[in-house]
Amino acid sequence: MTQPVSPPRGSADKVRPAAEAPAWRGLMARADVRTLSLLGVLAALIVIGGITKPDEFLDTRNLQLVLTQASVIGVVTVGMTFVITSGGIDLSVGAIVALASVWATTVATQEYGFGGILFTSVLVGLGCGLVNGLLIAYGGMVPFIATLAMLASARGLALQITDGRTQIVTVDGVLDLGERDAYVLGVPPLVLVFAVVTIIGWLLLNRTTFGRRTVAVGGNAEAARLAGIDVRRQRLYLYLLSGLCCGIAAFLLIILSGSGQNTNGNLYELDAIAAAIIGGTLLSGGRGTIVGSVLGVLIFTTITNIFALNNLQSDVQQIAKGAIIVAAVLVQRRTASTT
Amino acid sequence: MTQLPTRRGLLFGTAAVSAGVLLAGCTSNESGDDGQAADNQPAADDQPGKQVTIGFAGPQADHGWLNAINENAKSRAEKYEDVTLEITEGSNDTAAQIGQIETLINKKVDVLVILPADGKALTQSGLKAMRAGIPVINLDRIFNTPQAYRCWIGGDNYGMGLNAGHYIGEQLKDKPNARVIELAGLDNLELTQQRTQGFDDALKNYPNIRKVARQAAEFTVESGQAKMAQLLQAQSQFDALWNHDDDQGVGALRAIEQAGRDDFLMVGGAGALSAFQAIKQDDGVLKATVLYPPTMAASAIDLARALGQAKGIGGLAEYEIPASITLYSAVVDKNNVDQYMSTGFE
Amino acid sequence: MAPEPPLLSMSGITKSFPGVRALDGVDLDVQAGEVHCLLGQNGAGKSTLIKVLAGAHQPDTGTIHWRGEPVTLRSPIAAMRLGIATIYQELDLVEHLSVAENVHLGHEPTAAGFVVRRRTAKESTAHLLKRLGHPEIDPGRLVGELSAAQQQIVSMARALSHDVRLIVMDEPSAALDPDEVDNLFRIVGDLTADGVAVVYISHRLEEIRRIGDRVTVLKDGRAVAGGLPAKSTPTRDVVALMTGRNVEYVFPERPAAPGQGEQPLLHVRGLARDGEFEPFDLTVRPGEIVGLAGLVGSGRSEILETIYGARKPSAGQVVVAGRPLKPGSVRAAVRAGLGLAPEERKAQALLMLESVTRNVSISSMSRFAKAGWIDRGAELGAARAATRELSLRPDNPSVPIRTLSGGNQQKAVLARWLLRGCRVLLLDEPTRGVDVGARAELYAVVRRLADEGLAVLLVSSEVPEVLGLADRVLVLREGRVVHTAPAQELDEHRVLDLVMEGSPAS
Repeated sequence: MTQPVSPPRGSADKVRPAAEAPAWRGLMARADVRTLSLLGVLAALIVIGGITKPDEFLDTRNLQLVLTQASVIGVVTVGMTFVITSGGIDLSVGAIVALASVWATTVATQEYGFGGILFTSVLVGLGCGLVNGLLIAYGGMVPFIATLAMLASARGLALQITDGRTQIVTVDGVLDLGERDAYVLGVPPLVLVFAVVTIIGWLLLNRTTFGRRTVAVGGNAEAARLAGIDVRRQRLYLYLLSGLCCGIAAFLLIILSGSGQNTNGNLYELDAIAAAIIGGTLLSGGRGTIVGSVLGVLIFTTITNIFALNNLQSDVQQIAKGAIIVAAVLVQRRTASTT
Repeated sequence: MTQLPTRRGLLFGTAAVSAGVLLAGCTSNESGDDGQAADNQPAADDQPGKQVTIGFAGPQADHGWLNAINENAKSRAEKYEDVTLEITEGSNDTAAQIGQIETLINKKVDVLVILPADGKALTQSGLKAMRAGIPVINLDRIFNTPQAYRCWIGGDNYGMGLNAGHYIGEQLKDKPNARVIELAGLDNLELTQQRTQGFDDALKNYPNIRKVARQAAEFTVESGQAKMAQLLQAQSQFDALWNHDDDQGVGALRAIEQAGRDDFLMVGGAGALSAFQAIKQDDGVLKATVLYPPTMAASAIDLARALGQAKGIGGLAEYEIPASITLYSAVVDKNNVDQYMSTGFE
Repeated sequence: MAPEPPLLSMSGITKSFPGVRALDGVDLDVQAGEVHCLLGQNGAGKSTLIKVLAGAHQPDTGTIHWRGEPVTLRSPIAAMRLGIATIYQELDLVEHLSVAENVHLGHEPTAAGFVVRRRTAKESTAHLLKRLGHPEIDPGRLVGELSAAQQQIVSMARALSHDVRLIVMDEPSAALDPDEVDNLFRIVGDLTADGVAVVYISHRLEEIRRIGDRVTVLKDGRAVAGGLPAKSTPTRDVVALMTGRNVEYVFPERPAAPGQGEQPLLHVRGLARDGEFEPFDLTVRPGEIVGLAGLVGSGRSEILETIYGARKPSAGQVVVAGRPLKPGSVRAAVRAGLGLAPEERKAQALLMLESVTRNVSISSMSRFAKAGWIDRGAELGAARAATRELSLRPDNPSVPIRTLSGGNQQKAVLARWLLRGCRVLLLDEPTRGVDVGARAELYAVVRRLADEGLAVLLVSSEVPEVLGLADRVLVLREGRVVHTAPAQELDEHRVLDLVMEGSPAS
């Protein structure tokens, strides 16, 4: 015998009387409050930065710098947001970025020039995503384990390819994209890519059947299956998407650092998950927000920037980062339950 | 960027080596040691002596410097007809490394060379080997007690900072109110603290110089680029930069290039090939680097062979080899870079 | 009655979850030393009631008196301290710990406050197991290695390791062999002789006759009968209380000859699943409502889910409009025009965080999409039209579905299939968790859909519902179709006799 009325998960979903008329307004307001609270945190950080280092912080170059530094992890986080929204997790993103960046910068690849590097980055990302997706969707593996295995093997393969050496990029077309001359109306190309990925991600999640299926699979996989959705194929696509984002991020990282190294993408998985969760994506799945994730990334990058500008050391930075994760999630819970 | 054909061309060549899987590292031996081995006299003497089996256990070569350590040890051992090298697969896992050393002890090698992943954690393994009558050469990361090794040989992190500081101090000594910044390595390692301490101590000799900023990267290109970009934004004007590590220096130089800055001099650390090449080229901010030489692994093999054959070191009066050898962190600049070029690691 | 107050007295207990009222003013009195049986269908509120009693749920209203004193059971620990222990049907044992560790979990005998005295724990466990008639269970073995029956004994030993005054047993006999059941009854007898009260939940009426003292029957979250004498109340009366109507439902009128002369839309041939149900045939014509009647465990839901492709059959075939379906594929079934309103609406049908619109459109998204791009205006319009047709309240498909009542949530599920243009509707307990007053409306909706040409297959554990709504009825018992007849030729008593054959009908 089973309980027919098990309460839904999520602490915000307090018991409420049936058919509460203006509830949808509450829902709308909540969604907005979440985003607003993130914007508030970002605004507060900007004020802090502006007060402590007015000349260095409030400067076009610094804005370009912060956005550039956010681009690589930002692209990864967009892919991660989809996976988490579907109730999954991808621990292999950092390792995939490393492997793609390394594979795309071998001498053999560099001989094919710009196209070779771009193509290899994306293809390696997609390939890793495909393996993740097949293992999870059709092999029945838990995402945590499958992507953990991918993390280990991709890092290992990256090390094998490089032998721990730094592979320096010699293709001028790639290097030039990281220079100031390549800025389009003051916007670095990396930031443009980040913006495009964000917009496409937002549209994909909020305006397409793909996004709906993602939310459905994450919200209630059994219900999605019984409603006629091909849950397994959807899962495969989601890990492919995450892999693709990693491939793009790897290419951006190659442009940024002018090299490929097996240590690239260190702990990206944790940064991406943290940014998504802070942004308001439910770790248990069923709700995801690209805007929130991007704000999460920007908050982290801005914090790092302010700390560096004020010459605070990494121990303090790490402590503050942890505190801000906790604070942001607590603030959100409050605003979500009181509205 | 086409005005740098030589430099990029050279780097291209090194990248060819780094595509190890594809090209099977065909050039790595040549770039490693033969040249410099010919320059230095092997410790005891070159004449073949008693057969010696040397066990070598090191960490996983996930970093250019560590890879160079392995290469140096291997190629040095190959030089000697009377040396057999038993090398284990590198591991960063303390438990795994303990097991590997155990195996080498059981194999009854004549001498052990150990570069521990964590010196403190592997002290017991060193003690065990010594008690079993196998002399241990402790490479770089030091054990807790001198009882655990017969001879320690390693780099000088404090000296690195000291020499970098003195070099920068001499360059800037006529400049009033000179400003210096520091791009440190991974902050949770003791060696990073030692390097910073040495640097700060050296700068105390130059009252006109002030260290205005310090940020820690993580020995990776990616972190070097990110932290350097922030430092450049924070400090609109400074005169010198010391970067602890040439690997992260690749990223730091990239950030400097991207910011279009060239109004300061930069000193690196460790001694990577790409750094030597840039110093020789002398068209950028990088003017010098302070050594933390991976050739210490080759010297460790020499010491092990001497121990195994019960000989001393050439050039010293003692019959026995010393208990401890701290290498000098030489400053390599344009004037002496050619001499060191062959020891540069990728 | 003894002059002293009852051991436990719950009164006016109400508990609501989003969209449904699980308990609606339930009273329950339990005397020391009695076996008080709790009866009711799935979803009647038994589980919620015992969770309230165990401190796992907090009631919205109502009072609980324990030995005459008002108490609040804030947590399972609070209940345990009073002496209330619960043995859940899904045993809550830790498989990777030993028997003794499980028995003493949370109250390990310790030395110096934290060192577990393993020997003491083992000895006291062995003593408890002996008392329960199972001295052969080794306190040192891992619980995961034990049989289901042995695990239950361990669970009981855990309850007894506390100073227990009241034990709640949730369907303890479900996993047991007949002689294990005898042992269980002996234990229950011993306990009550010691003055411990037992609240016993079971579907098996003959067990209630054997060991019960009094019976309380729950239905739709209410106690429809409290404290009936267990031995002397006729079985038929008890079953009628469980399954019967306590409100006169208004069933829609049947058309004279639904689907007569037309080809069946749904044709099931020799469908079977090993261990769940035996091969059977079934046809449903357009306009026809066919009902499956049976008790819990008769294979009702399994049959529906197998037809729908959610379970793979071991034999047989499902044919829709002349075309055989690919077995075990929900997508094939949906494409062929099948739609399922599953038994567990929240777990199997709804996206609780989403709006009504998105819940309704989920199966027809591609219709509003060009190249994957959703036209949200068209989607909202279609969802509004579909929900209006079923008079779903509130008349605003943008509200989150979790704010709807059970009946309206069910309508949203029906609207999903209506929008999809489905031709065969499979309804599993469609009025489960639906307030009694809202049921008539739902019945009317189902009949109207049939009149519009849908074939409807209805599963319900409420006999009057099947008889009132269906045109034809198949009676199931233990995975077998035992009778098929037009609904008019059956009455409640006949069906009860059929579903319970083998149990003593008074």
